[in-house]
This record gives sequence, structure tokens and C-alpha cells, in this order.
Amino acid sequence: MSAARAALRHLPFALLLLVGLCPVLLYLWHQQDPESAVRLAHGIHRLLQQTLLATGLVLLGLLLLFPPARAGLRLCFAHLHRQFTTDRGPLLQALGELRHFASPQRHFEVGRLALAAGDLPLAAQHLDAAAAQTPDVAAVHYQYGRLLLRLGQPAAARGAFATAERLDPGHAFGDALLQHGRALWLLGQESAATAVFLSHRQRHGGSAQSLYWLGQALRRTGDAAAAHDAFAAAATAPGPRTAEADWYRAWARLQLHRPRATPPRSTP
Amino acid sequence: MNDGLRRLDELPVTLLVALAYLLCALWTDPFAPDPQALERAGWLTPLAAASGEGWRLFSYAFLHGGIVHLLFNLAMFAQIAPPLERSLGSLRFALLYAVAALGGGIAACLLYDVRQPVVGGSGALFGMLGALVAMNMRSGRHLLSFLDFAGPRRLLGTIAANLVIGFLLPFVSNTAHIGGLLAGFLLTFYWLWPGRAEPRTVWRGRLATVVLLGGLSFGSLCPVWRWDWLWLQSERASGPRQEALQRAAAMAYFGVRTADAGLVARFAERELEEVPQPPQRRR
Repeated sequence: MSAARAALRHLPFALLLLVGLCPVLLYLWHQQDPESAVRLAHGIHRLLQQTLLATGLVLLGLLLLFPPARAGLRLCFAHLHRQFTTDRGPLLQALGELRHFASPQRHFEVGRLALAAGDLPLAAQHLDAAAAQTPDVAAVHYQYGRLLLRLGQPAAARGAFATAERLDPGHAFGDALLQHGRALWLLGQESAATAVFLSHRQRHGGSAQSLYWLGQALRRTGDAAAAHDAFAAAATAPGPRTAEADWYRAWARLQLHRPRATPPRSTP
Repeated sequence: MNDGLRRLDELPVTLLVALAYLLCALWTDPFAPDPQALERAGWLTPLAAASGEGWRLFSYAFLHGGIVHLLFNLAMFAQIAPPLERSLGSLRFALLYAVAALGGGIAACLLYDVRQPVVGGSGALFGMLGALVAMNMRSGRHLLSFLDFAGPRRLLGTIAANLVIGFLLPFVSNTAHIGGLLAGFLLTFYWLWPGRAEPRTVWRGRLATVVLLGGLSFGSLCPVWRWDWLWLQSERASGPRQEALQRAAAMAYFGVRTADAGLVARFAERELEEVPQPPQRRR
């Protein structure tokens, strides 16, 4: 998933490069065979037209017929909005302060803000330093675990979340425990994940996200009836109508009606 | 910056461009512009650019199709250019003007009929508006923080209003407007205002911008998919290469299934004659 995300991040630049290189490559082709270059150019033009038309039609059909598509579109817009409106001022200030006087607290601050801004290499550099210098602070391990999950390293993330939960039970309003379960599920340890999700539900109540993940884990363990109940609870889970919560509600509704639908591995 | 560059950076580019507008207008008679004079002075047609006159991708941005066109563009230029030149520096401002004009020219070359002429500096003016948007985006705490302020919001309103007017009025080339706007925005966003952006993103963006502008410029000068360019190339070639180019021209004109070079030859004789057309102006 992290590879897909990285590819998605590079996609606009790759497209610009491709569009820029296309006339040059066509010219080189034209030097060899002018007729096939014209044929190729016409083919590219036709392919572009048909792809755009087909994409539009598929998107329209999905939006009308497939509830998670609407929720996914909203989630994409929310993600884009967050990318465009994440305040980089505090991060730059923290980086400036770190240059004058390095401390574990400042490394953590830079790592946390870089993670929020989506600058994963910078976040990794500083959270790594913070985790090495302050192994007994739950917040550091929690943020480090979030980073590792985004980098596609669930095994390391599981350890970080377990440490955070051990140092401060219920850390981040139970999110450390929930993400611990998520990391276990990504590692294929469904029974352990189910136990963690159930413990999370018992201690912190259920959100659309946690109940949906609980349903997934229960289904994998073979308890279809309990999974159905969890999905039903997720579909009607109270709480704010955020884009992310609605995404999980929509998938949970789908799981109720179409038990074999492919579950989302993560949020887009 | 060495002494030579520093001296160049003190050139009053805004004043020089305004003077160029006026001199070119005097040359082509602003009260009754003569199409032939405009063509000699450097109006842009996709055919002329593809025939080896690449300089027209820049020269058209200093010509205007009448006194109203000239005054409108000059007024807008006088409003936008001086503060932008003070902010960016003269050299960067000159580069911005050239690249925005190039962006407008490329858009016209790639999307217009081969004999459709274009004159006017508004592609470059739109490039400056794009540059102002990019500077506003870069100078805030995040990319959209400029929307909190009335001035930058008015800037977006100005761009939108001008584009709407361009779509409504005939003889206004919104294609070149949008090309210039995008070129000015990309150039400023990735090249002229590195500011607080992440270095890797900036370098990726710079590379992509250079390749995009370079590739599209190349495509405007050597459009291997267009019948007129292929036909002109065939006139310079001989033997089997000439026949292949003629067949390719026929395919480009009639579609890939038909390749009747004789039909294209008759069409080319008629179409590629020197028939001046009224210029498509840009406000």
C-alpha cells in the first residue's frame, strides 16, 4: 500500500514528464518511419479520448451505484484539502529551533509535524532519533508506529504501538491500541487482532473504523454472525460525519449486503 | 551574482516591454493594422512555427491587432508588471514574460488550425497573473492560506472574469490565455519562488516543468502528426523518403485508413498558398 501511495505521489510528475517527452519520442520514431509515427500519434489521441470517456462513465456509474465510491471521493477531497492546508509554519519553526539546540523533545516535535505534513523521510529521521533517546515516552512510540504503518512496515509498527500501550494504557484516546490491532491484522494474525479490537471496544467504545476492522477480523476467524453484528454496528456507529468515518460506514453497509465484497486494505 | 548579471538585473524590463509594444504598434499601424505587416513583424501561425520560424513563438507577444487591443493590454501590463518586476527582479521577470509568451504560443500551435494567426501580449499577461497566484500560494503558511485575504481572492476573480470574457467574445484566444497562465504559474511555483517548499518536490517539479515546456516547444516546431508539416517536409525530401512523407501527410489529413497522397497534394496546393487572414487577437 505504501508503494502504491508513493507511486500516486509521483504520478503527476510522471505524467508531466511523459507529456513532455511524447513529441520528442514521436519525432525520433518519425525519423525511422513517418507513416507509423502518424499512426501512433492518432492511436495515442484516440486512446486518450476513449480513456477519458470511459473513466468518466465508470466514475459516474460507481458514484450512482456503489456507496463507497461517494465516500471515497469525499475522502480523496478531504485528503487533498489536508495536503493543501497543512500549516508548515510550526514545522519550520521547530526545525529552526532544532538547529540551535537539539533535544529529544525537539526531534519528536519535528517528527510529529513532518508526519502530519506528509514528509515521511523527514519524520522518519527525527522520530528515529526521538525514539532512540527517549525509549520511555509513549507519545514517541505512538507517532513512530503511525509512521511505520504509513511506510508499510506493520511488524515494526506493531512493536511500537505495543510499547506505547504498555507505557501509557489508553494512549491517544485508545488509538494506540486500535492501531496495534490494525498492525496485527495486516500481519495476518487475525485471532490476536480480534482480541485487541474486542479489548478496544470494551475499553473505549466503538467507532465506525474500529467496528469495521473488528468485523473484518471476526470474519477472517470464521465467526460470520459476530462479524455481521460488528458490521451492522459500524454502519450505524454514532459520531461525527467525517469523511473517514463515512468511508468505513459505507464499506460496513456494503459488507452487510454483499458478504464477499473485497475489503479495503486501507484508506485511499 | 556577478557584476554583469547584476547590471542586467537592473534593466527596466517593464519599460522596455512597454516600449516594444508601442514601437511594434507604430510599425504595423495601430489604427488600421495591415495583416501583411503583422505577418512580416512576426504574428504566430502554427504553420509558420512548424516551417522553421520558431522565433514567432515569442515575437507575437509584442504585436497587437489595433489600438483598442494595444491600449487594453498596455493598461493591464502597467498595472501588473511593475510590482511583479520589483518582487522577482528584472532578469527573472524577463524570463517569466518569455516563458509565458512561449506557453501561450505552444497552446495556440498545438490546438489551432494551421493557418490561424495569433497576436497580442495577453498570453504573457495571463502568465504574470499565474505567477502572482503561485507567489501567493508559496508565501503563506500553507498553499491555500492566501484565500483568507481579499486581495488574492480578487486576483482569482480577475482571472476567472477574463477567461469568461475570452470565452464569450470572438477574436479572443482563450487557448493562448490558458497556455500562458499555466506556463507562468508552473515557472513561478517551481523555479522562481523556491521559498519554503520541500527541496525534493521543487526539483521534481523543476525537471517536469523543463521537460514539459521543452517537449511541447519541440512538438510545436516539429509536429510529426500534422499533415502540413509532413507535406512541407516531403517537399524538401526526395525518393522513397518523399513518398513515405507524402503518404504520412495523407494519413494525417484523411485519417489512418486512407493514404491518398494525390488528394493531399491537391489540398496542399490550395491550402498552403499565401492567403493572409485577419489575426486572432488576444485582449
